[in-house]
Amino acid sequence: MHIPDAFIPIWQGAIYWIIALIFIALALRWAKNELNEEKLPLVAVLAAAIFAIQSFNIPVSMGTSGHLVGGALVAILLGSPFAAVFILTMVLIVQAVVFGDGGIVVLGANIINMGVIGGFVGFYTFKGLMAATKSMPVSAFIAAWLACFIPALAASVQLFFAGTFPLVEGLIAMGIYHAIIGVIEGVITVAAIYLIMNVRPDLVDNGVYGAKGAAAA
Amino acid sequence: MMDNKTFIAAGLIIALIIGLIAVFAASSDPDGLESTAFVVQGLKTLTGQTPPDAELQENHEGTFSYESLMPDYSLGEDWGPLGGIIAIVVGTILAFLVVIGLVYTVKMATKTNQ
Repeated sequence: MHIPDAFIPIWQGAIYWIIALIFIALALRWAKNELNEEKLPLVAVLAAAIFAIQSFNIPVSMGTSGHLVGGALVAILLGSPFAAVFILTMVLIVQAVVFGDGGIVVLGANIINMGVIGGFVGFYTFKGLMAATKSMPVSAFIAAWLACFIPALAASVQLFFAGTFPLVEGLIAMGIYHAIIGVIEGVITVAAIYLIMNVRPDLVDNGVYGAKGAAAA
Repeated sequence: MMDNKTFIAAGLIIALIIGLIAVFAASSDPDGLESTAFVVQGLKTLTGQTPPDAELQENHEGTFSYESLMPDYSLGEDWGPLGGIIAIVVGTILAFLVVIGLVYTVKMATKTNQ
């Protein structure tokens, strides 16, 4: 759901950049204060993996394809929505500047949608559902699905303000397509969490193991 | 338990394998956002296929335009799939290095301030 530059006027892009910069500053503060240097291997590998996997568009029927975004995955694994802002911002900058995937002036909007909204929706949905269900796969799947679906709706509202999409038609199409793409997001998120829990349980945030913080079996 | 070096090497190799498969196997259908743009521009129905020759109208008035180094994760038609492979490898390594660089910069700035 990378918005290209041609879809949003420069002045609106500037507003999204200002909002995005506030969250980027908070994400840098998170990295400075909360990011344990022992977690660096996971942070760096997640950035590389998310870049690579975002290039893998999987067909979702209706002449449409989609790929993992990764905001929920990062926020859950590292235990903070700011982790998603931090990593997704860097991945989105590389994609926009080097590969023209998503615009430069609209990059602020893309960071807000996929990094900020994706990260916060993913993290707090996961946290709430973990408390209620105690099931990692159920909580992570729904969190990841919402972290794909809600940012898509946010993007259609931004594109409505830009005069690019009509409001209702945009919301319906974006909603339907990303409701299906969200299933990919959910499946890969749960699989990736299991994979990393198996090889390096120490790198995974305690929240993933439930309220007791017990180590994985 | 896997040590850090093995974890990083394994992670990068998995990322690169996914990226390389994507060069050949990724769907060329538009993503959800482009697909929606086709729908609202009347070039595609909501549930129908995307016509192969459909082209989005882009409004370049009042918007920014920029030519990136490797548009669409390729080096142009002359390079073919090799260009796609180079793009994915460069991007994956770059994302990895940029994040490590930023973490070190942030941590170093903290240490000098103390």
